[in-house]
Amino acid sequence: MRLNDREFEHWKEGLTIQDVIDIMRFVYPRLVIKVNGKLIKKEEYSSFVLQENDDLKIYHLLAGG
Amino acid sequence: MKRLVKDENLCIGCGKCEEVCSNAFFRESNAAKSCVRVQEIEENKHKLTICNQCGKCIEVCPVQALTRDSKGIIRLNKKDCVGCFMCVGFCPDNAMMQHDDYIEPFKCIACGLCVKSCPTGALKIVED
Amino acid sequence: MDILKMKNSHKLLSEFIYEPKALYRGYTDKTLYINISDNTIKEKDVPQKMKEKFIGGKGYGLRYLWDAVSPTTKWNDPENEIVVAVGPVGGITQYAGTGKSLIVSISPLTDIPIDSNVGGYFGPFLKFSGWDALEVQGKAEKDVIIVIDGNKGIVRIEEAPLEDVDAHLLGEQLTEMYAENEADKRNISVITAGTAAENTNIGVLNFTFYDVRRKVSRLKQAGRGGIGTVFRNKRIKGIVCKFKGVKGDLNHPYDQSIINKTGIKYHKEIAQNDHLQNNMRKIGTANIIEIMDEYDLLPVHNFQYGKHPDTYKIKSTVFIEKYCTQNMPDGCWYGCSMSCAKAVDNFKLKTGPYKGQNVCVDGPEYENAAGLGANCGIFDPEVILELNFYCDTYGIDTISYGTLTAFVMECYERGIINKDITEGLELNFGNAEASLELIHQMSRGEGFGKIAGMGIHKMKKLFVEKYGADKDFLYDIACEQKGLEYSEYLCKESLAQQGGYGLTNKGPQHDEAWLIFMDMVNNQIPTFEDKAEALHYYPMFRTWFGLLGLCKLPWNDITPPNNSETDEPAKVPEHVNNYLDLYYGVTGNRIDNNEMIRQSERVYNFQRVFNIRMGKGLRINDATPYRSMGPVTKEEYESRQERYDKQLRELVGFNPEGKTIEEKIKTLRAYREDQYEKLTDAVYKRRGWTMNGVPTPEKLRDLGMDLPELLEVVEKHLN
Repeated sequence: MRLNDREFEHWKEGLTIQDVIDIMRFVYPRLVIKVNGKLIKKEEYSSFVLQENDDLKIYHLLAGG
Repeated sequence: MKRLVKDENLCIGCGKCEEVCSNAFFRESNAAKSCVRVQEIEENKHKLTICNQCGKCIEVCPVQALTRDSKGIIRLNKKDCVGCFMCVGFCPDNAMMQHDDYIEPFKCIACGLCVKSCPTGALKIVED
Repeated sequence: MDILKMKNSHKLLSEFIYEPKALYRGYTDKTLYINISDNTIKEKDVPQKMKEKFIGGKGYGLRYLWDAVSPTTKWNDPENEIVVAVGPVGGITQYAGTGKSLIVSISPLTDIPIDSNVGGYFGPFLKFSGWDALEVQGKAEKDVIIVIDGNKGIVRIEEAPLEDVDAHLLGEQLTEMYAENEADKRNISVITAGTAAENTNIGVLNFTFYDVRRKVSRLKQAGRGGIGTVFRNKRIKGIVCKFKGVKGDLNHPYDQSIINKTGIKYHKEIAQNDHLQNNMRKIGTANIIEIMDEYDLLPVHNFQYGKHPDTYKIKSTVFIEKYCTQNMPDGCWYGCSMSCAKAVDNFKLKTGPYKGQNVCVDGPEYENAAGLGANCGIFDPEVILELNFYCDTYGIDTISYGTLTAFVMECYERGIINKDITEGLELNFGNAEASLELIHQMSRGEGFGKIAGMGIHKMKKLFVEKYGADKDFLYDIACEQKGLEYSEYLCKESLAQQGGYGLTNKGPQHDEAWLIFMDMVNNQIPTFEDKAEALHYYPMFRTWFGLLGLCKLPWNDITPPNNSETDEPAKVPEHVNNYLDLYYGVTGNRIDNNEMIRQSERVYNFQRVFNIRMGKGLRINDATPYRSMGPVTKEEYESRQERYDKQLRELVGFNPEGKTIEEKIKTLRAYREDQYEKLTDAVYKRRGWTMNGVPTPEKLRDLGMDLPELLEVVEKHLN
């Protein structure tokens, strides 16, 4: 599985998007998340199970100052 | 506290309230210049937008142009208003009205003219 | 002190009567020029060409400043100016963040033009008083104030001997003096500096707005670059603008309707989403303190580290729950539904000349908590608030103060300076008492405060020349560039943000680009070309706010719910369209996103050439200290050893196994410095500059900026 175009080392069977957020400690509230180019809504983060060859993008919408 | 209340089940969408309100405020019959609004949401079903004098607008006004009078009615002091329309954006019921002919918003003062004009009793003034 | 007595002691030096001109589509096309050396006051007409090319705001400021100074002008020469300008959209009341003033001057820190933006009511009042900009030139013999009455059409220069200099007092005194009664206070806005602005190079300008609920004059700061120092050096105590009668249509816009519609749409967006997003209305910019810590980006101990176990003591909720008093609205101009300006009421001071008094602190902002707090190893919210208060009232920049204090603390801990040099101050990280004493010394112009107040750039030279510090090491850890202190984000792990700080016109601030997440976490701009594109687009886009009189925060500190479905969420396309609509609504001029960027490019390139004219602005001046690029010391390397070893293996092709830390640091450094050079090449190329950082004549021609005075400067640097 890839996260933001980098190899994601913690993939395991049944891993959800929320798990990735927790593992990565992505605590910022404004995230834009796409799996294989498809936008995933916030309500689905805990139920969306990631496959081994998924392309996951978690973009933080934070541009400071 | 005096305020306008509604029973949307009774509303037939005749628009009399809008007419009388805009006439009272702006001397013209124009629903877009009324403090009450009637909207048909499906056949024979109407939504009435009215102010319940909740006071959210008082909170957001940067110049304290909105104040509550002794009867509990929120009034706008047009002289002090700077036309920011934050009250319009923050009204939970979309009952703070705005029209591009004017640089200040306008709102219901529970005068009761619409109540008198309503043929079905969908609008009422209560005091509690 | 008796206000009447103060007023009676004023001596009128000059008076100018004028007919206030109403705005037309955002402009009066008149500016006010004041010279306090010979007490000239006059009006100037804005030439149509200047309006087209420079738009307003900092564009006007830079244009006037260019004409006022010569290549050898220093910040404290009488010909240096302070220019205050808004912009055509500034002053409207229907959209958030539309009351910004842009201040331009030659900076005592950088010796080149600085521009700094600030809220408060002064800028809009100045416009409504008939002036698109205010230029102040010259130097007074004794302390003066300038008073502009925009209703009566009177401008006065008066000697003002008795008023206080510190901002929280002077703001109140002048508001009281020129308001007819309590209700009239909202019609007064004052510019002040403070006592430490006189004795340091990091002075700010405070702009007031009267808070009708708290009944105090609140302060907002034009913080960066030492403009307050210039102000006090000119012996200006305060500038007052009075304007009664603010309404929502004073800009006399081309199309009020589209402005109303856009504003109300935005207010609704804030009302419905802010509490789910950044909570700007509740806590303002401080919302990111704990976020920065989580992502290893909070500057700790002079930018050595990115997090600290004690950050929880100063996280945003501590300020919300214990200190900030919610008092709607907290906007610094009418119509700002984002309302990020927080305040702490009845804060009891523990030190300094106002010890024991209850004061109103404007803040805390993120930068304050990070700079005054974490970067100095101070994790006590009350100390942060106290330092915040004193920075404001003494008139110094919280960011420069935080960064330079962190620097002297590291110097002290490493033995580069000692107690003899600091005259007894024990400047260890975490020593709150020492930091408070340092700031009071700056106000009094005494002791080590006088040295520290020069800023890092001058201090580091002094430490090398006078105290024999190791130059290479000291320059590595001194977080300044072009003379300006870094603002409070750790950019070691984001090459793009190293450029975001380094490849700027006025020195390392975050007004131009903030790309850390886009680059480091999101990995959205992996190649040099991607980064260069971002370092073109964002600085230009954000420059536009400074031309129009707008605040950056409402652009992307809230986003429409469907923003994530757009092509480029980071740009917040709907909000960009809002701005284009506002510009059209006010001026009647319909432009697209490309023209918006070109408007900025004209001014941005003008500023770059201005820098070159003043002797900075070439590639050599865009180099950055290594502390901002990677680990300087062993401890820094060890704190992130796993990450750095991995990078050596994967990116550099260097096996870290069995190597000393020194070898690893050296190898990583060579790699990272090379990356920065490659980035610089790519950015210069994208911006249309030579590899020495000079805008090419072709670029200037393409932008319609092939003005003879610009070509004359750049041609000297073409080979």
